[in-house]
Amino acid sequence: MTAVAPATRRAGAAAPLDPALDRRFEAVVFDWDGTAVPDRDADAARLRELVEELCALGLELAVITGTHVDNVDGQLLARPSGPGRLHFLVNRGSEVFEAAAGGIRLLERREASAEENAALDRAAAATVEALSRRGISAEIVSERLNRRKIDLIPAWADPPKAEIAELLRAVEALLYEGGVGGLRAAVDLGVAAAQDAGIPDPRVTSDAKHVEIGLTDKSDSARWILADLWRRGIAPSQVLIAGDEFGPLGGLTGSDSYLLVPEAIRATVVTVGVEPTGVPSGIVAAPGGPATFFTLLADQRDRRRRGDVSDVDEDPAWAIDVDGFDTRLERVHESLLTLADGRLGTRGAPLTGNGATTADVLCAGVYDGEGPTAELARNPHWARLPSGADRHPRRRTLDLHTGLLRENGDIESLRFSSLDRPGTVALRATGDPSFLPPSRRRRLGRRVTALFRDRRRRGVFERLGAYDPEESVVRAALVEAENAGFERLLHEHREAWGRRWDEADVVIDGDEALQRDIRFGLFHLMASVTDRGEAGVGARGLSGDAYKGHVFWDSDVFVLPFLAATHPGAARAMLEYRVRRLPAAAEAARRLGRRGARFPWESALDGFDVTPASARLPSGELVRIRTGELEEHIVADVAWAAAQYLDWTGDQRFAAGPGRRLLAETARYWASRVRFDREGRAHIYGVIGPDEYHEPVDDNAFTNVMARWNLRRAAALPGIRDRDRAEWLAVADTLVDGYEPASGVYEQFAGFHTLEPLLIAEVAPRRPIAADLLLGWERTRRAQVLKQADVLMLHHLVPDEVERGSLLPNLEYYEPRTAHGSSLSPAIHAALLARARRFDEALEALSIAARIDLDDLTGTTAGGVHLATMGGVWQALAFGFAGVRPRGDRLIVDPRLPPQWHSLQLALRFRGEPFRLSIDRLGAEIESDGLAIRRANGIWEVCEK
Amino acid sequence: MKKVLAALDASFAVTPVLAAALSLGDLLEAEVEAIHVTTDAGPTVERSAEAAGVPLRVVAGEVVERLVEAGEADDVAALVVGARGVPTDPRPLGTTARAVATSVRKPVLIVPPDVAPPPTLRRILVPLEGTVSSSLAPASLIELARNAQIEVVALHVLGSGDIPAFTDQPQHEHDAWAAEFLARYCPSGIGSVRLELRIGRAEDLVPRVAEESRSDLIALGWARELAPGRAPVVRAALERSGLPVLLVPVVSEPTMLSSGPGRTGASVG
Repeated sequence: MTAVAPATRRAGAAAPLDPALDRRFEAVVFDWDGTAVPDRDADAARLRELVEELCALGLELAVITGTHVDNVDGQLLARPSGPGRLHFLVNRGSEVFEAAAGGIRLLERREASAEENAALDRAAAATVEALSRRGISAEIVSERLNRRKIDLIPAWADPPKAEIAELLRAVEALLYEGGVGGLRAAVDLGVAAAQDAGIPDPRVTSDAKHVEIGLTDKSDSARWILADLWRRGIAPSQVLIAGDEFGPLGGLTGSDSYLLVPEAIRATVVTVGVEPTGVPSGIVAAPGGPATFFTLLADQRDRRRRGDVSDVDEDPAWAIDVDGFDTRLERVHESLLTLADGRLGTRGAPLTGNGATTADVLCAGVYDGEGPTAELARNPHWARLPSGADRHPRRRTLDLHTGLLRENGDIESLRFSSLDRPGTVALRATGDPSFLPPSRRRRLGRRVTALFRDRRRRGVFERLGAYDPEESVVRAALVEAENAGFERLLHEHREAWGRRWDEADVVIDGDEALQRDIRFGLFHLMASVTDRGEAGVGARGLSGDAYKGHVFWDSDVFVLPFLAATHPGAARAMLEYRVRRLPAAAEAARRLGRRGARFPWESALDGFDVTPASARLPSGELVRIRTGELEEHIVADVAWAAAQYLDWTGDQRFAAGPGRRLLAETARYWASRVRFDREGRAHIYGVIGPDEYHEPVDDNAFTNVMARWNLRRAAALPGIRDRDRAEWLAVADTLVDGYEPASGVYEQFAGFHTLEPLLIAEVAPRRPIAADLLLGWERTRRAQVLKQADVLMLHHLVPDEVERGSLLPNLEYYEPRTAHGSSLSPAIHAALLARARRFDEALEALSIAARIDLDDLTGTTAGGVHLATMGGVWQALAFGFAGVRPRGDRLIVDPRLPPQWHSLQLALRFRGEPFRLSIDRLGAEIESDGLAIRRANGIWEVCEK
Repeated sequence: MKKVLAALDASFAVTPVLAAALSLGDLLEAEVEAIHVTTDAGPTVERSAEAAGVPLRVVAGEVVERLVEAGEADDVAALVVGARGVPTDPRPLGTTARAVATSVRKPVLIVPPDVAPPPTLRRILVPLEGTVSSSLAPASLIELARNAQIEVVALHVLGSGDIPAFTDQPQHEHDAWAAEFLARYCPSGIGSVRLELRIGRAEDLVPRVAEESRSDLIALGWARELAPGRAPVVRAALERSGLPVLLVPVVSEPTMLSSGPGRTGASVG
């Protein structure tokens, strides 16, 4: 038995690592024979020890080999306990196993069908026959899973990899002698035989001695492991791929070159082999076989033992980079770089630096003050170091895929707010020792307790922290974090993000810039909402103090739908926030002499209205703010959000319990809110609609139609008392809605058509524009100028509640009258313009919405990112371009793909089943275990299989 | 010790100039000295300086040249000059005041002859146009005012070209916008400076807001140019506000803290 050579000693001036290898990797994918071990008989005890330690230190390892798992595992016998995992991708692309403390476990196996097996038999037999006719006595030596192996030179038993060149010469000589024309031609014989046998995509490979005809090959393994790593938050740029046979051999591509699938293009690839025909371009040469490979692994171990700060993936499709430090824009940058875990938000201020920063840490649901002045409380900061006020970072990179913030400069650092353990934070930093604090423990905070454990060891500073209003919870969380350690916390956090992206990503083929901008929005949406307990989601989430963390219809109508369709637990938590404030809403209704529940326009901790009573406009004018008093569509908006959640999830428990209460009590409010005229028509007088330029108005179409929808939806609930049902339906049926059959247009409110017929699209210097500032409050109020989608909002939220075919006339009428003076507006118009196939305008509006924070279009991104706009962007993609709508137990898909896009993919979850929807010019299809898609009546429907 | 130099001539401006110089000296924590360029200081100048308790230096020579030379001295923090000699002079700036203000590379306080500056400044108006260079000019003044507990009102006028695209919820949006504006262009004033926003033409609104806010002084960053068509806000402040106007020269944009791609040293990619 040949022992695996020990690590190359580096005595004195050891050979420096190639720069491409001189870094910490997050995963190593490697070949077995010739790379990790010289042969099957080699003693792998030291390698096993190293592998197990590397997994304990968090490195992901994967063996890709053509042989059977018993050959690899039987030799390595590693049983790592994590957090890094050890995978065996064996049988030349047909099987995947994981080795863990409890043994090895089959994860996936590609099973050939009976027909495929028969075809493989025929192909192998035909190849042997073809060779035999040329005087070459080849033998079928094994019938492995999904492949057949033909030995070209049976007389040469088990040659070591080091003799590969000699073996190749002997085989080539044999083949040429037989007139086959070399190894390449032998493989071609196998390919032809396989195709003749009925295998459409045969994988025929050779290791010089054998030809294998199979259904899979190592490229399938490579794809599998890279996809698996990606799902767990590790990008190809963080992967080291190691082999020993990348270069061509006998006219054939090297066996390890199959690992170089397109997905691996950003990975680092190293060969430790002889590579007799030369090292292919782009591959690092580190000759020395398994001994060198051992050295490379040992180097990775040393880096992790030292606590090296890992890099993040800098793929521009997933990274937000801020270079330098601009005091003028710093606060904007900090909002963009905010890390959040649903409970805790930390702005992306640098670790050191001056007063240009607003380095805030915000805890969801924890406010200082009461009433209109209630604002999210600020908390002690875990990612600021006390020294270095005059030092600034060279670069900060937020990796959207993993929620990691990397800082480069005098201090190199990596930090995160754990998505797996909300409220737990971790930071690792190296650099100028004068900036690094000493080891210590601290307790800070008042409303929220923060506990930090700092450890400084040999130039590496590490902080673990925990936050919670309850001290006992904080203490337990920090103990758990300490027990887990930084690497395990990093693993868990990365994997949690990987899972979230798997269930929520949107992919557009045809616009790279838009793709990144969309992911930026999705990242902040996912980061801002917890899926546990209740989630009161403020207008700027946890990224800043603007809007004081107050909750508006922004969260119910704009943010929730994304979560209902991808991560329902978070949507449920958002509804729980409303459910727990039903008593306050009931009290608010009662105070107005009404029934049911009246949710407040602006909400904070206690559920009562916290809308300020006045504001000073930029014109200098002090105005009364009446939205708290009059903008009552919020009542129906909350009901709509509950219905959205139910439609996407089918959550019966919610439907029978809190959901029912939300729908019923809001309907009850509307029934008490209306006034009947002499003709028996119901009216809602004195409100403000989404278009806040006009107030107060009567019979706002949006308010009335949403109220009608609310009444009807509640009336359809099981178990509603007959008299309630009768009342609600009667009110619904008589509520005026402003629809004019002759024109197909809904009058936005009573008297809208009598206002000055100003088309803001014609007279404004640009749109979006704050028309109230451009024209003045009075003139705007008297003109047909809209702040944002109002009537059109109905076509977006409740398309089945408006007249069929009325989208186009209302779009024609209202779009040129819309100033888009609300950041909520462009995304909704993008959705509706897409429905109307006005793609150029739709994409322009979508781009504005997607860039609203990246370009600081409001001038207030410094105070936090615009979550509702981000939710609107997703809705534009899902409801607008993809045309997805739940309808009972089916999901309708009625796409509008713009010519500029090749395809659109969305990850969604319907009725508990995750799936991926793909739309292109040819149609729509899904990837799902439990759902199927079919075409019906000109549209697509997704339903249970 | 820094000094504020009050340029005196035998005109109606002599008393207001001295009074303004004293209150500016208070703000800048500087001594006040009077200077008169002539072959022979007349009784008006001498007695006024004496009455104000301000030492007088008499120098000979060409008036503008001597005043500019004196103003450029290292220990001079600011120069104070009368806008014109006679209140009814229709020009916002007399020849001497104009020549001195456009030449001296120090802050120059222009004092109308008919104003009665208070002994202690209570409130100053600082129009900010929303550029880094112009906002840097009054920065140290704002800091001094803050330390002296003088109220600072910053004013930004939105023209038709820079009306915001969005207002969202005005009860919050304005506060958020103002906070960020101050952080960018008046960082030394965060927490102590009140921002007034107006929409319209700055040259109309600066004098109006100065009056509405009952400010004692207007401080403006400027490029020391008064050619026709230039500095409309400065002209309007001088012509219409009736207040002393402190003109603070704008220097070129300082080096950003670290270089990098993009326009101002930091870029988001």
